[in-house]
Amino acid sequence: MSNRKGFTGALRAGIAALAVGASVVSVPGIASADASDDYPIPNRILKTTCTVDQYMAAVRDTDPVYYERYMIDYNNRPADVQQGARDRIYWFFSLDYAGRRQYSEDTATNVYYEQMATHWGNWAKLFFNNKGVAAHGTDICQQYPVSDPTVWTWMQ
Amino acid sequence: MRGPILAVCIATAALTLAAPAHADADTDFANTLHAYGIYGQKDYNAWIGKIACKRLDRGLDADAYASAKFVSMQLPKGSTTEQAWQFVGLAIPTYCPDKQYVLQQAAGQPVAPPADPNQPAMPAEQAS
Repeated sequence: MSNRKGFTGALRAGIAALAVGASVVSVPGIASADASDDYPIPNRILKTTCTVDQYMAAVRDTDPVYYERYMIDYNNRPADVQQGARDRIYWFFSLDYAGRRQYSEDTATNVYYEQMATHWGNWAKLFFNNKGVAAHGTDICQQYPVSDPTVWTWMQ
Repeated sequence: MRGPILAVCIATAALTLAAPAHADADTDFANTLHAYGIYGQKDYNAWIGKIACKRLDRGLDADAYASAKFVSMQLPKGSTTEQAWQFVGLAIPTYCPDKQYVLQQAAGQPVAPPADPNQPAMPAEQAS
């Protein structure tokens, strides 16, 4: 009798554990759009201490075709969108690691968070979209001048 | 009746003959690169050649040595310095013949510096 009771108890506990397990499994499922330390913004960009100008000048040397494509796209935007993109990326680079990580989280979980993206979907492609490019650029960006306005006027 | 037919025949012949005779610059560029053992995508190599020219034009690369350094960074790993120079030596006449003087300078030949329209006036020309 006591044996049977013990079995029922174990069964109940097992079902409860399963239920808890199921809910634990389903929670990460819901939250799967969360940011990671490398997505949607590459880790190197979260951590770099380079300025926007330093990073862009570096990528102009390391990944010239990627840079060229971005600048062509940039130059096909109206002046106010170009200005908005420049302001926004300088603002992002002014954040510390924690701020950038939070921004990464915000853009990953809310597609409407970044207003700039509604005007120009690829506004930050040079910075956020390619881990390889981010790695090449941040490897050597310290060697470049802190301020270099020519990185934005390359096509003119 | 014969006239128009003949004209059509000539036009057709001209069209069919013209195609192989006028390969575009990028194709010629890629074909010559192959002779140097430089492969890779035609469009990519053409773009690197044009960007090397642009860098010279903007003053970002000061001379052919800077161009060769830039190009060697873009070629596949294992490419030689010689190949980078061959690339530059071909890209400049193909895409920016006005920059040939940088090749002559690198070869040690005396070259007249290009006229700089923005240079300051000589003392004698300046208003006193």
